[in-house]
Amino acid sequence: MKKFLSFLRSMRFGVLLLVLIGVCSVIGTVIPQGEEIAWYAQNYRSFHGAILLLGLNKIFSSWYFIALLVLLCLNLSLCSLLRLRTVVKGKQTEREIMASMPDQQILSGEGLSLLRSHMESRHAREEAKDGVTIWSKNGFGRYGTFITHLSILLTVIFGALALYTPTTEDHNIMPGETLTLSDGTAVTIDSFRLTDETGRLDYESMAEITLPDGRSSGLVPIRVNHPVSMGPWKLYQQSFGTTGSITVTDLSTGGTDVFYLTDMSFLTADGHSGLWFDVLYPDYIRDPSGEVTLITLTEGSYPNPIYQVRVIAEDVNTPTLAVPGDTLEVLGLRFTFNEPVEYPGIRFKHVSRLVNGLLVASFALMTAGLYLTFFCEPVLVKADEKGYAVGGPRPERMRIELEGLLADYTTEPEKEE
Amino acid sequence: MKILFFAALAIYAAATVLRFIGTAFKKEALLRASFIVFLAAFAVHTAFIVARGIVARRLPLSNQFEFANAFAWGVALMLIIVRSRMKADWLCVAAIPAVLLIMTYAALQPMEIRDLMPALRSAWFGVHIGSAVISYSSFVIAGVCGLRYILAAKKNAETRILDQMDYLSYRMITLGFLFLTIVILSGAIWAEQAWSAFWTWDPKEVWALITWIIYAVYLHLRLRRKRRGLFTAWFALISVPVVFFTFAGVNTLMHGLHTYG
Repeated sequence: MKKFLSFLRSMRFGVLLLVLIGVCSVIGTVIPQGEEIAWYAQNYRSFHGAILLLGLNKIFSSWYFIALLVLLCLNLSLCSLLRLRTVVKGKQTEREIMASMPDQQILSGEGLSLLRSHMESRHAREEAKDGVTIWSKNGFGRYGTFITHLSILLTVIFGALALYTPTTEDHNIMPGETLTLSDGTAVTIDSFRLTDETGRLDYESMAEITLPDGRSSGLVPIRVNHPVSMGPWKLYQQSFGTTGSITVTDLSTGGTDVFYLTDMSFLTADGHSGLWFDVLYPDYIRDPSGEVTLITLTEGSYPNPIYQVRVIAEDVNTPTLAVPGDTLEVLGLRFTFNEPVEYPGIRFKHVSRLVNGLLVASFALMTAGLYLTFFCEPVLVKADEKGYAVGGPRPERMRIELEGLLADYTTEPEKEE
Repeated sequence: MKILFFAALAIYAAATVLRFIGTAFKKEALLRASFIVFLAAFAVHTAFIVARGIVARRLPLSNQFEFANAFAWGVALMLIIVRSRMKADWLCVAAIPAVLLIMTYAALQPMEIRDLMPALRSAWFGVHIGSAVISYSSFVIAGVCGLRYILAAKKNAETRILDQMDYLSYRMITLGFLFLTIVILSGAIWAEQAWSAFWTWDPKEVWALITWIIYAVYLHLRLRRKRRGLFTAWFALISVPVVFFTFAGVNTLMHGLHTYG
């Protein structure tokens, strides 16, 4: 059991897990993820069975990938605890160990004063006892690896929570319309625009969010990179589209209604006669003879929109083209063609702000931990009347620095038999 | 403005040629001249980046050309700093051609200046991509140190020199690793603001993670003293193609959210 625990917390096991996670990640980018089964059958032919059996089509949510992450968490937890214990223990004893350490280099008197002034210039803490001087530097850096490992553990845990617990739903909402979510939250899109004041593409919805308890956000802009949070919801400006719009007037009552036409639709009062909407084209060219050529591609804009519809009256189907402003009358109904309407696609994410906050805090902790580990290397330098030695948790940098600085003043100590 | 870019490219090429001739014929004067020419190329290169930034009215880091250009500039800057601080002229023979190689790749990319797409207009843009420039440049310099170590070890160079090369490679990897971590973490925060998820398993994200894992493995293996030296030098060297794949290969061969052009 002790051996097993020791393996679980070992660096070797940690490295093995990292390598396996790396291999899975490579596979996950080489084999496209989340496609239809038929797609794999078509593209991987005889291998597709193995791909599906091993879950290589959804590798990042496969049981073995999650198991690797869980084992990594376990390894990091045990390793972090061990590190903390080692760091605390080491801190208590390292000065005594350092004081009794034999000199690594013999220094001339001039070299010793150069070493002293160098350590002073590096603002190292100095302690002198029994003719031995010990300089220490970056003491807090000893916690760097502990903080780093702990923060990676927290990042994996909070990252998994932030990734898998929120629910998201996407909705297209027409300007002026209100959408009510499952919990009663209502979102009204007041207006939507595709470009900013300078004509640059920059879509923005003006929206009002009202929570079930009546609290309202007032009119707030939702833009790319600038989501809006309200209660448990976070709203993102996700996509946009353009749709046709027709106002229908009942000539007998005078009542009107506006319809947004994203798909083929039949606008009718009696189920037999009315207007069949086929498609809205963004542009067209009319030649001198009056012949119209419809254009489908105009890079997202609608410079000269034109509706392709069919008038259906008394079982006669008449294909017709109409531009905004045109009207058609069909058996008591008047159809007025409006300018196309641009609408936003809004993503609604039900999210825990606490989890997000903790995840971002883990990120900050990781950055601080790595900085401490690599750039605040804890080191001890001991000097007596003969020479000096470099020790402590991470002495490499100082050793190389002093070797270069004191090269002309040092001799190797004689090795004891 | 393009003339500045091509002038920098040509002067880097001249510096590379001078360095090779100087190294082959052991001419100290030529080696010194090559570095002076390299500094001139760097000055022109810097002028190009500043000019492009002024014309584009943003940080010139938004597409493959601009990133490759900044990447080459980052490697050149690292080389200048490390060479002067560590007196490591031995880096130049491989680092100057590396800069030229990346500049040549940049020259093959479409160069026109385009407006930033809305998703890229964020305060995180500079942090995320600027950190990537520093990180990838550090890894390239670390790889160059690894290459020099391998060559020097074959010629039985002094242990002190070898230790310096090994340590420099390690330092560059620690710097690159810290900044790669910042790249990934700032990217996650930005992704949450732009796309609503911290992590989407997009190929670029995954390859950044793979690169991070590779260097994390390096840092752990190097803790064992017996692994330092040739092993870590080879490790630093053969990891560089992974960095290049993360930077260029993913955008070219894989489709994802980071395919900006």
